[in-house]
Parts: sequence; structure tokens; C-alpha cells
Amino acid sequence: MATVEIGLLVASTVTLGAPLILAALGGLTSERAGVMNIALEGTMLASSCTVAIIGLKSQNPWIALSAGIAVSVCLMMLHAVLTQAFSIDQIISGMAINALSIGGTGLLSKALLNDTDLARSPFLSVTLYWWAAVVAVGWLAFYLKRTKGGLHLLAVGNDPDKSRQMGLEPVKVRYLALMATGLLCGVAGALIVSNSGNFSENMTAGRGYIALAALIIGGWRPIPTLVACLVFGLIQASQLHFQGTQLAGANVPPEFWNALPYLVTLIALAGLLGKSRAPAGLGKP
Amino acid sequence: MDVKLAGITQSFGKVRALDSVCFTATSGAIHAIVGENGAGKTTLMRVLYGAQKPESGSIEIAGRVVHFRNSKDAISSGIGMVSQHYSIIPELTCLQNLMLGAEPGWFVNPSVAEKRAFDLAAQMGYAFEWNSLAETLSPAGKQKLEILKLLWREARVMILDEPTAMLSPGDSDALFESLRKLATDGATIIVVTHRLPEVIDHCKTVTVLRGGKSIDSKLVTETDSNQLAELIVGHAVETTSNSKPDIGPVRLQLQSLTVRGYRGDDALDNANLEIHSGEIVGLAGVDGNGQRELFQALVGRTKARKGKILFDGIEWSSLGPRQRIACGLRLIPEDRHAEGVVDDWSLIENAALGLQRLKPFASGSWVNVEARRDAALRIADRFQTKHGGIRHPMRSLSGGNQQRFVVARALDGDPSLILAFQPTRGLDIDGTAQVYAALRAACLKGASAFVVCFDLDELLANCDRVVAISHGKIQSPRPGEERDRQAIGRLMVGAA
Amino acid sequence: MNGLSWKHIALVLGAFAVVVLAIQTTGVAPATAAKSLLEGSMGGPAAWRQTLREMTPLVMAGLAVFIALRAGLFNIGADGQLVMGSITAAVVAQSIPGVGGVILGSLAAMLAGALWAFPAGWIKAYRGGHEVISTIMLNNVAGFLTTWMVAGPLRDVKQQSPTTRLLPPGSSLPNLIDSPPFKVSTALLFGVVGVVCLAFWLKKTVAGYELSATGANPIAAETAGVNVKAVTLKAMMASGALAGLAGAFIVLAFEHRFYANFSSGYGFDALGVALLSGGSPLGLVPAAFLFAVISSGTSALQLTGVPKGLSGILLGILIIVFASIKYRRSKLGDS
Repeated sequence: MATVEIGLLVASTVTLGAPLILAALGGLTSERAGVMNIALEGTMLASSCTVAIIGLKSQNPWIALSAGIAVSVCLMMLHAVLTQAFSIDQIISGMAINALSIGGTGLLSKALLNDTDLARSPFLSVTLYWWAAVVAVGWLAFYLKRTKGGLHLLAVGNDPDKSRQMGLEPVKVRYLALMATGLLCGVAGALIVSNSGNFSENMTAGRGYIALAALIIGGWRPIPTLVACLVFGLIQASQLHFQGTQLAGANVPPEFWNALPYLVTLIALAGLLGKSRAPAGLGKP
Repeated sequence: MDVKLAGITQSFGKVRALDSVCFTATSGAIHAIVGENGAGKTTLMRVLYGAQKPESGSIEIAGRVVHFRNSKDAISSGIGMVSQHYSIIPELTCLQNLMLGAEPGWFVNPSVAEKRAFDLAAQMGYAFEWNSLAETLSPAGKQKLEILKLLWREARVMILDEPTAMLSPGDSDALFESLRKLATDGATIIVVTHRLPEVIDHCKTVTVLRGGKSIDSKLVTETDSNQLAELIVGHAVETTSNSKPDIGPVRLQLQSLTVRGYRGDDALDNANLEIHSGEIVGLAGVDGNGQRELFQALVGRTKARKGKILFDGIEWSSLGPRQRIACGLRLIPEDRHAEGVVDDWSLIENAALGLQRLKPFASGSWVNVEARRDAALRIADRFQTKHGGIRHPMRSLSGGNQQRFVVARALDGDPSLILAFQPTRGLDIDGTAQVYAALRAACLKGASAFVVCFDLDELLANCDRVVAISHGKIQSPRPGEERDRQAIGRLMVGAA
Repeated sequence: MNGLSWKHIALVLGAFAVVVLAIQTTGVAPATAAKSLLEGSMGGPAAWRQTLREMTPLVMAGLAVFIALRAGLFNIGADGQLVMGSITAAVVAQSIPGVGGVILGSLAAMLAGALWAFPAGWIKAYRGGHEVISTIMLNNVAGFLTTWMVAGPLRDVKQQSPTTRLLPPGSSLPNLIDSPPFKVSTALLFGVVGVVCLAFWLKKTVAGYELSATGANPIAAETAGVNVKAVTLKAMMASGALAGLAGAFIVLAFEHRFYANFSSGYGFDALGVALLSGGSPLGLVPAAFLFAVISSGTSALQLTGVPKGLSGILLGILIIVFASIKYRRSKLGDS
């Protein structure tokens, strides 16, 4: 009996953790290049909505996925243009993109999607996305350590001025990095909607911010971030599985589990979980 | 690879940074370029490195004339430069720093790269923990890594800009050992420096730049420190004899003041100084020898590691900027954009910055706008600052006028202690004269003034006495030599 | 550098195109939509009432974000602080009847908001942790905390959905004008008064000056003797207090109780209001009005078939266009 429960818990953890992993890695690429990115939430949401709509219209899950990725990449390119070419403050740009996305998906989903229709559209198997998450972690870890591009990314994010002295082009690197962010968030958004089978307004439900939190706790490195995401996934899974049961003799409300990832991040930021090591050049022109 | 620069001329706006400069360096030797701040040394090297296209002149490498469009061209011609402020990124590993921008291929094979790094290092007698972060390196270590970077990129001409600025004497000697070795292997080494002992001990030839012109080039064996010092600072300019003012009791005292620098070592080392009422004291020295740390400690933004600051008998060490300003401290900062003004604010608002809590700018918690307006007008008028109206933002003023405003603000009212860092930056001769006249007027009322400046002539012409700072230590000239250019020049460059 | 170049014009045109396209996907003609939006927000006393009702919390919340912004802080946590203020006001006004309850409720709400902002302010001032992340975290915790409280300990058991008890009629903020269908609450007046007070405070007090200095150039401010750390913390807490007060207004003037999922994203809108105020507190009033028009107009627009999401699109676009002109990241060494 117990092994089945643990098995279910693990499965839920992975399912809930996978979109976090992908989004957090998206945040990693962006912030490692020096661009603060609080628009993960909106970008994922936009992808979810696009996948749902295009999936319905085209009845082809691969086209839907591609469309979702394309939309995410566009949003991240907007972030890049606003912050690099227009020199808008990175936080403002991020919040504006989130607003655009929440509004836009709300509008489009009501106008173009009908709940019953969605049941007819095909989605890719969720397992595919799990594999994508694992591959992404492995690839990113390898990329940062073992390739020229990865080294340039790290250099630009740590010190854009010295990087220029060494012949690098920080702006170009940032555009490429944000494209990667778009790709990863696009896949994350697709996973979220594929997992649930339909699109509801604001269905990302703050996971973009939890992904950011995981990134901070993971010290902006791929493997620790993966661990943080899995821990957060476990927390969310526990909420589902242990709802209503007693913990240490008290009734733990579901909201406690929901709030836990955020509380943990807050504690980390206060420096109580060890020093938080952001890329030194985060936010520098 | 021999290097020959001929007739290099470069201006920045109205300033002639380089005026028909000629310079030759042969392979197999270490060549020195010396001069004060602003003499044109760094600009000349940037031309050679391709970072600056000269208005006129030619560059010859190994007998062939070359045109560099950018640094990449220079690098592929075999030129490498180590800048004064290392371009080592602390959060990357030593190996990553070594390779950055010159990676062997898209995929990096760490063992192959490490082997090559190891071999290059062994050639020079160095050893590195290639996978540890570069932030663990000492300045000497960073310097060595910068040299290895040059070797990694197969540079045959190596330019080092103030290489010993951040090194101890022992490390400096070791550095020149390495450079000698490279020279013996056939490289052309060019060292830009202001430290004459190094030039005498280690270099083959020396070229002196002053005011953008190449004054002389000699074999080191045919000259000595004194002659070089004289060439660097030029012959004594006719100074109007200032009658020695009445100086009063001591007001500012620094006792064994030691301040930690950002690199962890002591940027200011047991500094001792006394400034009297009525006195203008100048601090001469080459940039980077502790002036900034001294200033920040005096302003109160950083705490000293050891030692005391006393003003009018009050110990300032535990007081913050606000209390010191209340005691009469006024500041003319080095970088007004960063430390002195808010660019977007009007002249009225900037007039009160630093004094916002004092009368008449405030009565209790309320702002006295009238007083601010009067002050802004008064301050703007003092040095004829050109502006479009006191409601206009600071940004709308030209650099020189912004400086006039900042200086006038510091001298407004009755300051007790005036700290000035490059106060005449961006000002012409008239402006400069006005500033010092105003300083003198303030001191006649009993204030003390402490001026940091990179122009020795200016200090000698305007200050009552000049001390020098070198490697964080304040050196006073011997009695009788307080305004002796040669003597102070020697103290500045560590030649005494 | 301050002039509009071709890329700004391109941005504005692009923004316009996006809005038009978005409306077209819903099948409604853009011109019709614009007309409906204006009618729905300003086309009659009932419409005006709704618009002013939306505007009221936005003025105070915008003020909250504005004061933080002046001090150089991005307070994205207005939502959480507002919600904490709301629930506190609801609880206090329940226990203490009449005018006393209203006043104490408002004060308690301000305290709650300030306390909720404290961790973010402290982390920023003394640990250097970016306030954007910490305030977002606190938003979410506030949401969960209040959801739990209103479903559990504070619940009115007589109601189906989780909510606190309805406040008695005497425990509410009175209306300034009450001639149906038009109504406007005194809360709006308080908001405008608050804006004027802040404008006065910033211009005429030393503390206001030092706060502005801290946000404009922290290093110069420190050199000028300002205690930058303390100012940062105090500004954040003041911001939280004002957001809490906005929350209290919503409860005391309009809702008269607190229920789950209370805040419909006021925090976001408040950020927009603060950004669009153009650097002067007095600009908050027209900015809040603009956002209120968008909000009530798009609500009315739903009837013609354009979903409410349009308001989010308009919000985002307004922020982008405005920020590209006004809030450029200052490059180092600009002269």
C-alpha cells in the first residue's frame, strides 16, 4: 500500500515539477546573461493559451507546440528589445509583458476557445515533456561548462564591460539568451496545458514566480535549481496527497502548503539559507 | 617584432592628447614609457592596440605599415595589452578567464585546455589552480594570469599599462623577472609606468611623454632618476610668490589612518597628516595610490580599519557624513554625477544637497524654499556659471559649468574643512584661478582645505604645502622642500 | 536624448496595431469597441459611478506604489499589503461598532500593510535582496493566508461562500454624493487629499527631500548625509501602510466585508498608475482615472463580446509606451 502511495507522490512531484524546471531554466538563461526576467509567468501563460488555440484549430499537436514556442520567443524578444534597444527598466518591461499576457490570453481564450471543443484537440503525451525537462537540465549544465557559447554567457552576465574588453558582444549574447528563454518557457506552457487538457484563465497560477524563486534558491545553477524545483513540486504534490490528513497532530490547511514555496524563498532572500549569489552583472547595461 | 609609431596625433575635443608622438620599441627588450597623468601614455598605447584610430601618424610592425580597424586586428597582428585595471572576471575560473574570447573551438575540452594552460604557465614558472575562481587570486596572481592570456593568444608585442600599480615591491620584481624572460625569448615588451626605480632597474630604453608630446627617448644606461624626474615634470614654472599666510592651530588630524581597499589589502596605510586653520594642503600622487580611500574615509562613508580622524578636537571616526557636514565639512567630489549632484534635479534642489538639514535651508523639518533659491542664485553667480535658469536641471549645464556650481556650493557659507578632489576638472585657466582664490578666501577666514589633484604644477602654484601619496602612504617633503617640484616628484614616484 | 526618435514612433504604432488586432479577433469592430468602452465608463451617471468606484482604491494604491518608487523601490507587493489591510479593517470594524470602528479599522489596516511590507524593506535595505521578488512572494503568502482565514477562523457560517460577516450600516465610510444611480464615496476624497499631502510633503519637508534623493542617486544621498538604509526601510513600510489603507477603503466603502479572492489585481494597476503619474504625485489622480476608465469600460465592453482581458493588454501597452519615453535606465556616466 505504502509503495503505491510513494509511487503516486513521486509521479505527482515530477508532473508538477517539470514545468517549474523548464521555466526556471528559462529564467536562468536570461539572468545569467544579465537580464532580469520576471516575465516567466506571462510567457508560459501565453504559450499555454496559444497551444490550446492552435491545437484546436489545426488538430496537430506538433504545430500547436511550435506555435506556443513561437509566441513565447516573440514575447521574450519584446523583453530584449525593450530592455536593450529602448533601455526600459528590466522590471517594468517584465511586469508590462505579464500584464499583456494575462490580458491577451484572457481575451483570446474567451473569444476563440470553447471548453467542450478543447476536449477534441490532441495534446502531446506529458511524458515527452518530462524528458524535455531532463534533457534541458543536462544540456544547459553541459553548455555552461563545456562550450564557448556558455562561457560567453557567463562572462557577459558577470561583467559586461570586461567582456567587451575581451572582444565579446553582450547585447548579441542577451538576445540569443532570451530566445532560449522563450523556447524553454514555451515548452513549459505547453506542458501545463497538455497536462490539464484544457485552458483556463491564469492557469499558470504563479508558477512563473515560483520558478524564479527556485532559481534564486538554486543559486542560478542548473542542477541545484532542478533540485529546488523538485522540492517545490514535492510540496505541491504533498498538498494534493495529504490534504485533510493530520501533520504533527494538527490540521494543516491546504493554503499552508501553497504558501510554503514562497515562504522558503523569502527566507533564502533574507540570507538565512546561505548567501544568495546572483550573477554579478544582473541589470547592468 | 619591432614596433615603430611615427607622428601620432590625436585630439579629444579641444584637448590635444597626442601631438606628433614618435616611439620605437625593438624586440628582445623591455621599453618604458613614462609621464604624469594626462601626459598621453595610455592614449598612445590604445592607438597601438587598435582601440583608438589616430587622426594622423603611422604604425609599423616588423617593418610593415599596418592599419588597425579595431582591437581584433591588432590582436591578430600579435599585439596584446594588459590594462591597468585587469579584465579578470572574478566569478569565472582561472581557466575560463584565460580562454575568454580566444577559445580553441566551440566545444571546450577541459583537459586539453588545462594542459596547454599548464604548459604556458610552466614556461613562465607559474602555477595555477585552474579550476578555482579567479577572485581568489591576489593582484600579483591576476597579473600573472593576464600575462598568460597574452601568451595564450600568441602575442609577440606585449603592452603593460602600469603593471605594478597594484603590486608589492617583491611582486614587482618577480613580474619584471617574467618580463625579462619573455624579452629573452624574443618578445617586444612595452611598459607604461610612472615608477622610475623600475625603469632604472629593469628597462632598456625609456621614452618620456609630457603634455601629449614625446620629450625624449633614451637608453636607460645613459640617464638616471633625477634627470628623468625633471623631464617628466618639466622645468620649474615661474610661480608668483605667495606670502605665507598666517596659519592657526591644527584643525584636521589623521593619526595612523588605515583603510582597507576593495581588494582586501590596505589601500591607505598608516596615514598621518595635520592641517592647520588657514592652510591649503595639496595631495600629489598618481591615480590609484589611495587618494580615493582617504577621501571616502574623510567624508565618512567608509570606516577606517585602524587609526583616528580628529577635527577641532572632536573624534570623527564614529560620526557619519551628516554629522561631519554639520561640523563644517564641505566636499568637492571627484565624480559629481555619482557623488555630488542629482542630474535630473534643478539647480535649486541641488543647491541644498548636503546641507538640507542645516539652517537656513531648513527650519526644523520644513524646507525653506526661499533660502534655496537665494543660495542657487548666489552659487551660480559666484563663478559665473552659465545656466538657463535655476529651475533648469543640472543636466542642462555643460560639464565645466556643473563643476563651477559644485565648487561654489562647497565654498558657500562658512565651511570649516574643504575637501576637494580634482576641483578644477574641466575648468580653464580663469576658472581655475577663481576657484583657488575662493579657497584662499575661505581659508583666510580660518577654514582648512585639502586638495587632491593629479596635476602637480597646479598644486605647487596654489597650495601652501604639498604632500605626496604613494602606495597608500603619505610622505611629506623634507623641511625646505615643501614646494620643491623635484623633491615632491620623487616622492610621488617612489624615487626618493 | 529626450526627443522622440523613429523607434518610439514605431513602438507606438506597433502598440496601436496590437490593440486593434486583439479586438478584431473577438469579432467586434474596433471603432464600436472604442465607443462602447467610452460609453460604458463615462456615458451616464451609472457609468460614472462605476468608474469612480474603480478609481477610489487606485488613487490610494497608486500613491503607495508612488512613494516607494520615489525612494527607488519597486513595490510589486501592493496587492498583498492591500489584502492584509482589507481583512484587518473588516475584522476590526466588526468588533468595534460605528465611526470608531471605521477609524480604528483604517489605522489597523495601515499597520497591517506596513508590517506586511517590512520584510521586503528590511531585506532590501540591509541584505541587498531585490524587493521585486520578496514583495511578490509576500503577495502570494498574503493571498493564501487570507483565503485560509476567511474560510476558517473568520468565516461567517451563515453564508455559502467563504466570507466574513457583513458590516453593519453604521460601520462604513459614508458617501460624498448619494443620488442614485450616481454615488461617490468619501474614500475618493481621502485619496485625493492624500495625494495632495504627499505632494506637499515631498516638496516642503526635509524628509521628503531626502527620500527623493535616496531614489534619485543613493550614493550622492549618502554622501550628503542621508541615512539611505533607514530611508529605504521607512519608505517601504509607508508604502505598505498606504496600500493597506486602500484595502480598508474597499471594505469600508464598497464591499462591507471580506471574501476570498478579494483583490482583482489592484496591485498591478497601482503600479501602472504610479508609473503613468509622470513623476509628480498630482499626476496620480488623472492616471488613476485613466485606469478606472479602462477597467469599467472594459467591464461594460464584455456585454458586446470583448472579454475583459482587453484591460490587461491596454495596461501593458500604456506602461511600455510611457516607460520607453520616461523611464529609461540611466546610462552610467551620462553628462
